[in-house]
Amino acid sequence: MTTIFEKYGGFSTISRIVMDFYGRVLDSEIAAPYFDEIDMARLMDHQTKFIAQVMGGPAAYSDEALQRVHAGRGIDRTAFDEVADLLSQTLSDHGVQREDVAYVRAHIDEKARFIIDDANRGAAG
Amino acid sequence: MSDLDYQASANVPIETPGMDMDRFRSMLFDTVGIGLAVIESAQFRILMHNAQFEAWFPDAAAGGEIIHALIQGFDVDAARLAIERGQSYRFEAQVKPRRRPVSLAVEVSPALGDCQGALLVQCQNISKIKELEYMIESYSKLIERQNRDLKKEKERVEKTLLNIMPQRVYDEWKEFGVSIPQRYDEASVLMLDFVGFTEMSVSRDPTKLISELNDIFTAFDRIVDQFGCERLKTMGDAYVAVSGLPEPNPDHASNIAKVALRMVRYLKRRNQTSQETWNCRIGMNTGPVIGSIVGLQKYVYDIFGPGVNLAARMEPLCGPMEILFCEDMYPYLQHEFHMTDLGEHEIRGFGTKRVFRLEESSTTARESHRLG
Repeated sequence: MTTIFEKYGGFSTISRIVMDFYGRVLDSEIAAPYFDEIDMARLMDHQTKFIAQVMGGPAAYSDEALQRVHAGRGIDRTAFDEVADLLSQTLSDHGVQREDVAYVRAHIDEKARFIIDDANRGAAG
Repeated sequence: MSDLDYQASANVPIETPGMDMDRFRSMLFDTVGIGLAVIESAQFRILMHNAQFEAWFPDAAAGGEIIHALIQGFDVDAARLAIERGQSYRFEAQVKPRRRPVSLAVEVSPALGDCQGALLVQCQNISKIKELEYMIESYSKLIERQNRDLKKEKERVEKTLLNIMPQRVYDEWKEFGVSIPQRYDEASVLMLDFVGFTEMSVSRDPTKLISELNDIFTAFDRIVDQFGCERLKTMGDAYVAVSGLPEPNPDHASNIAKVALRMVRYLKRRNQTSQETWNCRIGMNTGPVIGSIVGLQKYVYDIFGPGVNLAARMEPLCGPMEILFCEDMYPYLQHEFHMTDLGEHEIRGFGTKRVFRLEESSTTARESHRLG
């Protein structure tokens, strides 16, 4: 089965998406504060793995791992949606077809419960 | 080169209304994307700086700051050493004006010509390069990990395949996608099954049956391995081992006979302490066999030929715990093993053959003991 990652030209395309997405996240008033304490190397590492994962590239994180790396960061539904929206928009802007964007989005939404902080989950529904 | 560049570099006054060279320079100084500062060379105190420099180092706004107090990672000693040698001092720094980390390539150089005692500090934004660098680093780690996983998986698959076909056949099959059947003129075959297997009480309890068979066949595998033979396959309660293929072995007949004796010894010992009594019967033969992969999707490496069939025909003639072979194999074993001549028997498809029973001798018993 061809993954979205392969469909859009593998790493050469994905790298542009990662760079663009990285910029958008840091320009976002809602998302950026979560990355305040993280240096560029770690943040880029995080974004690269994130995009590779959601596009079906060479990264596979278990739900437990997702939960572990996001634990204690106080991520609420608003921040989660912001990052998901930014990604959807970035993918669209780089020519990823609507159904593939929707697929990626659905995949991310599925993982919400492992990323959104426990304390915020009740309000987030 | 544009007209403007030409005029600027040629130092010709620009005749644009309201724009003279000084004004142009000052404008350039403040609009260029490079952070620029001039510092005095004694204390490294900032004499002047442009807007971009201040955007990255807001504390410079106060004026008169010492440069290494502003830029993290500025090594004063290294800088002085480089400047004394008439070289530039270069290093990389990270700043975070607002939320976005910016990577800077900083260069301090005595490049101010006639302004003795002053140094030029240039800061170039290399964030994009660093971001790419970090991304490639992260990505290559993912790929390396994926490669490691794939390699492990490949080894696992290879190991599994090597269980069902010999190394040489596997290598050939891997390289050419096919494996040509191969004839082995000098080989010996052993076929074992259990007397009354279907009637054994353990047959009614599949879990226990599998566990017992697994235990016994694992022990057989060890014996086969000890004597340099190969387990070819098991099917139900049947166990087939070969010697002399895929690698030729001049002692193929003797080795397979030793395996047979050891198997019987093992079972006898096991039966003493086990609830279930397992009685085997073993047919052996020596002769040419053909080895080949059979099947396209479900590979089985198997052997064929009259040599194999004859070993199979020996088996039904066996009583419990007996090892039988016929005259074809006799010359290979006669000097080394004890045996009983059972006389001539009619063998289906082979006519009349003299059949022998391999007996446990004190020599082989000792040898088994030593090897076991």
